[in-house]
Amino acid sequence: MISAGNKLKSVAALVALALSATVSAGVSDKDILNDQATTHDVVSNGMGLKGQRYSPLTHINTETVKDIRPVWGFSLGGEKQRGQESQPVIKDGVMYITGSYSRVFAIDVMTGDELWQYDARLPDGIMPCCDVINRGVALFGDLVIFGTLDAKLVALNKKTGKTVWKKKVEDYKAGYSITAAPIVVKGKVITGVSGGEFGVVGKVRAYDAKTGQIAWERPTVEGHMGYIWKNGKKVENGISGGEPGKTWTGDLWKSGGAAPWLGGTYDPEVDLLFFGTGNPAPWNSHLRPGDNLFSSSRLGIDPDTGKIKWHFQTTPHDGWDYDGVNEVVAFNYKSGGKTIKAAATADRNGFFYVLNRENGDFIRGFPFVDKITWAKGLDKNGRPIYNEAIRPGNPAASKDGKKGSTVVAAPSFLGGKNWMPMAYSKDTGLFYVPSNEWEMDIWNEPTAYKKGAAYLGAGFTIRSINDDYIGVLKAIDPVSGKEVWRHKNYAPLWGGVLATAGNLVFMGNPEGYLMAFDAKTGEVKYKFNTGSGIVGSPVTWDMNGEQYISILSGWGGAVPLWGGEVAKRVKDFNQGGMVWTFKLPK
Amino acid sequence: MFAALLLSSTMQARTFDEIIESNKLLVSVYRDFPPFSSIVEGQPVGIDIDIARAIAKGLGIELVLRWTTADENVEDDLRNNLWKGDFYHKKKSDLMLRIPYDKAYSQLRDDIGELVHDRVHMFAPYHTEIWQVAFNSKRLESVPTVAVFQYHDIGVEVDSVPAFYFTGAFRGTMTKHTKHFPTIALAAEAMFNQQVDAIMGMRSQVTALVANQPEHFKLASNGFPTIGRQQWDIGMAVKSENRQLSYAIGDVVTELVKSGKLKAIFERHHAHYQKPEYYQP
Repeated sequence: MISAGNKLKSVAALVALALSATVSAGVSDKDILNDQATTHDVVSNGMGLKGQRYSPLTHINTETVKDIRPVWGFSLGGEKQRGQESQPVIKDGVMYITGSYSRVFAIDVMTGDELWQYDARLPDGIMPCCDVINRGVALFGDLVIFGTLDAKLVALNKKTGKTVWKKKVEDYKAGYSITAAPIVVKGKVITGVSGGEFGVVGKVRAYDAKTGQIAWERPTVEGHMGYIWKNGKKVENGISGGEPGKTWTGDLWKSGGAAPWLGGTYDPEVDLLFFGTGNPAPWNSHLRPGDNLFSSSRLGIDPDTGKIKWHFQTTPHDGWDYDGVNEVVAFNYKSGGKTIKAAATADRNGFFYVLNRENGDFIRGFPFVDKITWAKGLDKNGRPIYNEAIRPGNPAASKDGKKGSTVVAAPSFLGGKNWMPMAYSKDTGLFYVPSNEWEMDIWNEPTAYKKGAAYLGAGFTIRSINDDYIGVLKAIDPVSGKEVWRHKNYAPLWGGVLATAGNLVFMGNPEGYLMAFDAKTGEVKYKFNTGSGIVGSPVTWDMNGEQYISILSGWGGAVPLWGGEVAKRVKDFNQGGMVWTFKLPK
Repeated sequence: MFAALLLSSTMQARTFDEIIESNKLLVSVYRDFPPFSSIVEGQPVGIDIDIARAIAKGLGIELVLRWTTADENVEDDLRNNLWKGDFYHKKKSDLMLRIPYDKAYSQLRDDIGELVHDRVHMFAPYHTEIWQVAFNSKRLESVPTVAVFQYHDIGVEVDSVPAFYFTGAFRGTMTKHTKHFPTIALAAEAMFNQQVDAIMGMRSQVTALVANQPEHFKLASNGFPTIGRQQWDIGMAVKSENRQLSYAIGDVVTELVKSGKLKAIFERHHAHYQKPEYYQP
């Protein structure tokens, strides 16, 4: 029973209002840019717009972490408990989280009391592809901003939970939705969109965070016009990629897919947004010869105009559903006395890429999973050297509708790494990458139907490569490409990672444990069973001289939706929906 | 224990007796899918709407239509409408129309050897569908074979077999003449506006689309070499526990087919009707 609107728990809210009245000045651009350095709040997805998910806090460290304990738990309630992929944000004594089914909660961080709850009024007929999840909010001024399953952006008053503005980003009836956390850069809230497999064109959009007025719109498929709004007027702002048809066949660019469904990051040093894009449509790569830009790519986008400054395509002419959406994390390193302005990304396709974030140039790339079959490696420009035998066959070419032969490709389409964000520690210089070792069988499926019509489908199944584990948390040196340590996990990993200056790495697993690892060795220093699988991302902050850790627990996401052997590993995990908050005893 | 019982009873499909007692038959049809099911001037209209009405009337109960957005394939639609319910409210229907009647499909097994469709029962084929080309005879004299589409633009619906056929077969020689549209109705509009010379889609749709157009928009009678499935039967489905409902509906549909009422429904919507082999003597 989801009721629209929100409920305000007045007593608790008054306490929070009193608490925040003295310190609250609203979240500014400066607060967001300094998020990583300021330990008393978390005001952005990624704990800073670079998305490093690193905290300089050290109270909780490899020595003390064994003593942390829960201080409160908060239930998201409802009978429809589904995957909880949200990252909490914390400002002025209030935590803001999202829950499954496009819900937002404001929680008193001292007590765990609910201050308000907002339940989006979702229409019948939404078609989310992969569970009804949401990944979190953005804060700006007095607003709490998030995207809904029916593809709207909603801005709520942070004290009351009442709607301040609401904008339709796309038409949910055409298969669009939003599940990613938006980001705010220079007063603009920036979002991508999730789309069904076909007929959609990915777009990144910027809105005035205060009013919800659209500022610019950038299609992520070559050939589509971008727009910018000047004094309320929609003005053409250049065709993405210059012109249609350069890397597409026929008119397929018109419905090219490439949805930027996981949102983006931003680096103020080079003043660029970094957004990744999904796979191209249609799924059968034989129908669309060419690189199919800008599908399965990373884009460097000007935050003021929405112009694409650079692109790097991880999987040109994708045939395996290797979305290129995974987060781009800006970091600097020294090489020959020079500071290299780099960015790293761990792709679904199994390769870890280090790029020059000023221009998108390839610096280096290497596998971060043990088994990659679809490509033999990367060339000097970072382009994959295909193993053509591992490209799924063309169902249209099969002789009179016979089932084609099976191709075994690794990684599986859920990726060497999926949406779950990695962390980067400037202390160790390592990336902590939540990865999965699995492969897939793909075959042509002529006995298929779509909307009353015969159809040529493809069959997929995902299999684990090893008996004893699928998930692997890996500590990876982005400069040498070497793996420093690994921690194996029986079920596939689906939650984000946090690194701290306390020489710790935090992560949750689908078995339900929040775990802390020694950042240098991978030794497990702490684990706590939260009661349901973890697919959310942990955060840490301090208040009143004490360091806190919070994470959402609640099993779901895309993994349990897929059948076959992987489903067997996870079928007994129970649903849930809790926020757990930890600290050291006084 | 009590809670568990309650939960399991709500998870099950309504029994035949419960359906009759409630005096309502919940039937899922596709949204925006003429000539089968769509809303015109606020009223549900179409072949499947008329069939659903006739079935409810045959059972002596009221019809409640539930409109569903087509998912990526029929397997997803069966899940969303019959055995699991929709994403949000978990509402389920008693019956879904426009489901293939195909033994290979109903007996399909998944990668671990389990039946894919064991939660539903597919029955009561009500018509036979094939692929069909319509063309503008002022732009193109005739369509003896599909080879003419190496020279003439043809409109198809995105992500359909016609789209795969013209972009994938014949070594891609027709790719640049294949124009993709969100629906076959929009492709037909493009043909009427001289933007493409022909369209290809399901016969029911194509015949209905050209029915009231000038004479120079003609139906072709060409074959489709290497297309795989040349024709298929369309029926309906209920949840697998609901065999009793399927028998009752099956009797109604058999009568509709044999009496010629089903053909009349198709003709009313200007769509060509072909009786499934199931009913041939």
